[in-house]
Amino acid sequence: MSEIDVLEEARRKLGLSVGDLWFRYFALGGMSTALEVEAVLYGALVATSHDRDLLAVALNERFAEQGHDHPVPYAGDEASRP
Amino acid sequence: MSSFREFAVSTAFGSGRLVVEVQGEVDLLTAPTLGAVLGALVDQRHLDVVLDLARLQFMDASGVQIVADTAERLQAAGGTLSVRSAPALTLRLLAITAVDQVVLIEQADPAGAGLGPEQRGDDHSLSVPSERADLPRNLTQLGSIPASHEVIDGALRLVTSLASATVEGADGVSVTLSRHGRLATVASSDDTILRMDQHQYETGEGPCLSAAASGHWFHSESLAEEDRWPEFTPLALEEGISSILSTPLMAADRPVGALNIYSGTERAFGTHQQELAALFATQASRILIDGGADVSNEQMQARIVGALLSRETIARAQGILMARERVTAEAAAALLHRSARTAEVTVIQQAAELVAPTHGDDDPDRGARP
Repeated sequence: MSEIDVLEEARRKLGLSVGDLWFRYFALGGMSTALEVEAVLYGALVATSHDRDLLAVALNERFAEQGHDHPVPYAGDEASRP
Repeated sequence: MSSFREFAVSTAFGSGRLVVEVQGEVDLLTAPTLGAVLGALVDQRHLDVVLDLARLQFMDASGVQIVADTAERLQAAGGTLSVRSAPALTLRLLAITAVDQVVLIEQADPAGAGLGPEQRGDDHSLSVPSERADLPRNLTQLGSIPASHEVIDGALRLVTSLASATVEGADGVSVTLSRHGRLATVASSDDTILRMDQHQYETGEGPCLSAAASGHWFHSESLAEEDRWPEFTPLALEEGISSILSTPLMAADRPVGALNIYSGTERAFGTHQQELAALFATQASRILIDGGADVSNEQMQARIVGALLSRETIARAQGILMARERVTAEAAAALLHRSARTAEVTVIQQAAELVAPTHGDDDPDRGARP
């Protein structure tokens, strides 16, 4: 589950708590509970690509706030490439 | 949440005994249901009750408390609670809490007891280092946990008892929480410890208050040499307390209280005890977060309102994209994310731009595509 590792790795790099990540995810329209998000990060639950994108956006926007690029890949990145 | 979908309790008679089979996860959400079932059976004067945990996936501290309460009620009535086929981690939790001394442990299949399903990727249960197998079994403390209708407070009391029994050198443990803007003790192992907390509230100083206010832990190795809390320290020494370790409880990255460990011995707490304290504080914090105990404060409410406004704007933007591009909600979300990235703005900024009246449906090329 490389995507899950990427999300959790990014969360740790940002020093963002699961609760804060969930809040950002929720604000973006996410529908899963904080416990389910935590399960995704730990690899215990496989997220839909929609949920994964929302988590990636939440993480990347935090990276952007800190002046970084968007290091977390989106689920659609592969498919959308020409 | 999955615990609601999977959790089930069924009762049956087997070999002349009443067998209660538990399936799925016993946690803060489901423990009250299990408690109600077991309570009803005790009320009906069933004396020989078997709790079959073969299909249990996970039991947290709140579940253990239900088991302990039921066992003690049955014992008082002259009966017995047997726990059958419990997963390994549950057995360990029962041993740590000394609940295994008030129930009859039956392992139907010793080979199968090696690894319970909760062993996998579960970070929620208390993981106490295995070398602590020799820990003091403090039955009286566990027995002193009063039955409570407040599930959160009950779970916190159990954490307090666990911490008290597990942290070597601890003579007492309390949990302090900020409620309605005031600090209050929600769980304490005895009256001396409760008074120690109250001395701090009254003098307005002490490690518990410092930890709860700052979000950092405070350790006083020797109160006799302590000068940070001049009013509180003499009162603590009078009560026979010599060292204190206060670890903050965090909810959404904000301190909301503290887990306080008191000892009558100087320098009672080393690195190992500090690690254990942090572990229990994490567990207590998680109970608070899962229990939603923190939504009463204004900062949190503002955050929730902000998140809901953001969701509404994003939903409206998605609606516009769905109509315009004739795509599903999820595809519209992906479009919105991509266009925000291209425009180098946040998703909420992009959504606000899209729903703004000046850039509405009359300008279909705007905002939708990279």
